[in-house]
Amino acid sequence: MAESTEEVAVLVQRVVKDINNAFKRNPHIDEIGLIPCPEARYNRSPIVLVENKLGVESWCVKFLLPYVHNKLLLYRQRKQRLNKDELIDVTCTLLLLNPDFTTAWNVRKELILSGTLNPIKDLHLGKLALTKFPKSPETWIHRRWVLQQLIQENSLPTFVKKESLATFPMERVQRLVQEEIEVCGEAAGRYPSNYNAWSHRIWVLQHLAKLDMKILLDELSSTKHWASMHVSDHSGFHYRQFLLKSLISQTVTDSAVLEQNPLVSEHISDLPKDDDEDTSAEHHRVVDLSHLLEEEVEFSTDLIDNYPGHETLWCHRRHVFYLQHHLNSKLPHCLMRLSPMDSSGGTLNDLHLSPAVTQMTQAMDVDGLNDSNEQGYSQETKRLKRTPAQDSLGIEMEHRFIEQILSTCRNVEQARFANAYRKWLVTLSQ
Amino acid sequence: MKLYSLSVLYKGETKAALLKAAYDVSSFSFFQRSSVQEFMTFTSQLIVERSEKGSRASVKEQEYLCHVYVRNDSLSGVVIADNEYPSRVAFTLLEKVLDEFSKQVDRIDWPVGSPSTINYTALDSYLSRYQNPREADPMMKVQAELDETKIILARKQNSCCEIM
Repeated sequence: MAESTEEVAVLVQRVVKDINNAFKRNPHIDEIGLIPCPEARYNRSPIVLVENKLGVESWCVKFLLPYVHNKLLLYRQRKQRLNKDELIDVTCTLLLLNPDFTTAWNVRKELILSGTLNPIKDLHLGKLALTKFPKSPETWIHRRWVLQQLIQENSLPTFVKKESLATFPMERVQRLVQEEIEVCGEAAGRYPSNYNAWSHRIWVLQHLAKLDMKILLDELSSTKHWASMHVSDHSGFHYRQFLLKSLISQTVTDSAVLEQNPLVSEHISDLPKDDDEDTSAEHHRVVDLSHLLEEEVEFSTDLIDNYPGHETLWCHRRHVFYLQHHLNSKLPHCLMRLSPMDSSGGTLNDLHLSPAVTQMTQAMDVDGLNDSNEQGYSQETKRLKRTPAQDSLGIEMEHRFIEQILSTCRNVEQARFANAYRKWLVTLSQ
Repeated sequence: MKLYSLSVLYKGETKAALLKAAYDVSSFSFFQRSSVQEFMTFTSQLIVERSEKGSRASVKEQEYLCHVYVRNDSLSGVVIADNEYPSRVAFTLLEKVLDEFSKQVDRIDWPVGSPSTINYTALDSYLSRYQNPREADPMMKVQAELDETKIILARKQNSCCEIM
């Protein structure tokens, strides 16, 4: 049955209003969803609100979406005027149905920049959209834009309290970081190997948390259980690899400062900073890197033993073993002052593992470890490395581990991965 | 790594009767939950109907893995899990549940039973405990010798699930 243009217009106005009212009635809405419902029943609104969940009956989408989509495009083409409230409502409706509609997010960017729209609202809208579309690239991209607006000093006078000329208050940033981590965690749970969610989490650590050591360590411990319950989630394990790499790089950056302090002893982990160090906000923690890496190898062993046949676990093991291997075998080349890992290209490039050792060196460059910037031997670098004898012992232990797996496993895939790992190890020691 | 449903059924001559079931659909979006649960009930029955007595199998259906154990006495169990959940633990769970069920519920009630008439309440707590395989079973090894376990890849045709 064909709906006339006027009927559709009336229906859509009503639905948009219903959505708006639902948010007003319940500010705690935390999830959106589509209700499979092929036909409208009676004269009821297709908007359903149950227990903080907002549902849209599917029958109305084929009217609703083209209409509001068209409306926004006409506005954009300056063929139709829309006031600020209409724009907010229309884009909100659109983005809940299709959050990858970039134009709608861009309209909201303009509203934010003109001071009409509170950027926090977009964080909330994005969070809702992600409950139904946990990968949506445009949502994550817009989210990063909003966060960047929020932490910039001079932007958004209406909504951001200008504390002084100091940088954005630390506690507020901390809260933002925690909230973002939560949003990423939820999205990661809603879709397996959610690359976009985990990449965003990395971005947040780099740009909001500035790779603060305490946060890196906290993240390492708090994602451990999640990783153990998602043994095929490659992105989740890649995140742990990023954390370890960042801890290595941050420790090396700090080591130059710590060099001057003779009170720092050999094997300490997680000390609070000394009183006679400088009073900057930066915490100089001495992290026992080899211990962390060993723990991660143990973690990997445990998972591989208990959950046979998951390639992700074997990939993770390669990365971790490589970090250990790199930490001690290439000195003095490998521990050096690192350029800040802030380029987006750097974060999203995985460690490219290839047989040739020279290519491996280049791969580390991709991740930001720059071979051409050497640091001289320092007390710290000595402490962090293992002797060459220990390193070949490490490889030998790995071979024994592989033997043990191959002799006891009944899983075909597990055997295949173990053999591939063995081949890779052989190329490593060439 | 998730368990979605745990069901006990009786494999009759022509049909499988659901005796008791427990579900955990909390990881699905709110408005999908009831239809997902229906799908799991239906799939569990179908799988038991198409499995031989005295067999174990793991059947892939969409993104789920259905582990089924049909005993020689026709008492059957189905665990629907994701593809990360270790199948060894799933079969340990099924063995355990069916063993306990057969001791608590009279054999005579099986062919004619339904969830409302059967008095067995442990399924929910098993489902919840076994969400984390290691907490539930520290050894995580199947003790008994297994019959041949087959992984059957089901291709979904049209709207109904066609297995084999």
